[in-house]
Amino acid sequence: MMNAAGAGSPQHGVDVRPVSKHSEKSEAYVPGQPDMWAFVLFESFLFTGYFLVYMVCRTQSPELFLRSQAELDLRIGTFNTLVLLTSSWTMARCVKAAREGSFPSASTNAFLTMLFGFVFLVSKVSEWAQEIRKGFGFSSNEFFSFYYFLTAIHFLHLLIGFVVLGVVVHQLSSPARRSQELIETGATYWHTIDFLWVIIFSLLYVMR
Amino acid sequence: MSAGFGKRLLVVWLALCAITIVSLIVGSLEGRAAHVPNAAITSSAIGIALVKVRIIFREFMEVRHAPVSLCRLTDAWVLLTAVSLLGVYFLGMAFRMDAG
Repeated sequence: MMNAAGAGSPQHGVDVRPVSKHSEKSEAYVPGQPDMWAFVLFESFLFTGYFLVYMVCRTQSPELFLRSQAELDLRIGTFNTLVLLTSSWTMARCVKAAREGSFPSASTNAFLTMLFGFVFLVSKVSEWAQEIRKGFGFSSNEFFSFYYFLTAIHFLHLLIGFVVLGVVVHQLSSPARRSQELIETGATYWHTIDFLWVIIFSLLYVMR
Repeated sequence: MSAGFGKRLLVVWLALCAITIVSLIVGSLEGRAAHVPNAAITSSAIGIALVKVRIIFREFMEVRHAPVSLCRLTDAWVLLTAVSLLGVYFLGMAFRMDAG
């Protein structure tokens, strides 16, 4: 955690700094490592590029995209969105708990985040299997190419997210580690997976 | 975790879930199987998604406590994504190659 006044923060080792209500409200700081924010912004612009290419192709063949989109189950997409939002909530709770020195609560929330991430993973794989059983594969048509590409690249980010969560759990497991900065950095990555999915959901399942 | 922060996160999570249910309702409007483009549903879907993204940035990712430059950068990305997606949608629908 870095504050705007430029006060240094330990990069390694124990970095337990309970944050008072006053400092939450009055001091500006970048949560986690600034490098992670650079990565988040890079990924955000990269995905915006993917979304724009999808939108261009969609507007050129709206009937095909709408017919194919109707093969997806909007309720499954909604369920997946709710699950990832819940995982983000527990991750945010983990950060707050760790900042306040409540490490058992932080660990519990980190494990809950993993659990919800796993539920999303299983749901996504079963949705892919369902679509493939119905005869809609990657090369079935343009919509399904985008569907598999966007959901698979997001899935890859989710898998990396489990490694990141593993680092967070490892940090929380011993008083000798517990770097608040690393925990916040992991949380920033996990929330990125969440907000990218929110846009993917609206483009693949909801829009017309 | 202090009760104040915990309660705020709970309210944010409930709001995000409620907005997602609105998306479900919007996506189910006008018969999903009708296969007809609908600018109002598309604008609502993209608008709702980007409102959710901004809430995630500000509340879960704690951007509201971040230096103003990070707040502006994330807001700029949200705005750019909204304008570019909707712009491409409306321009693309107006100048469809297969529409003759």
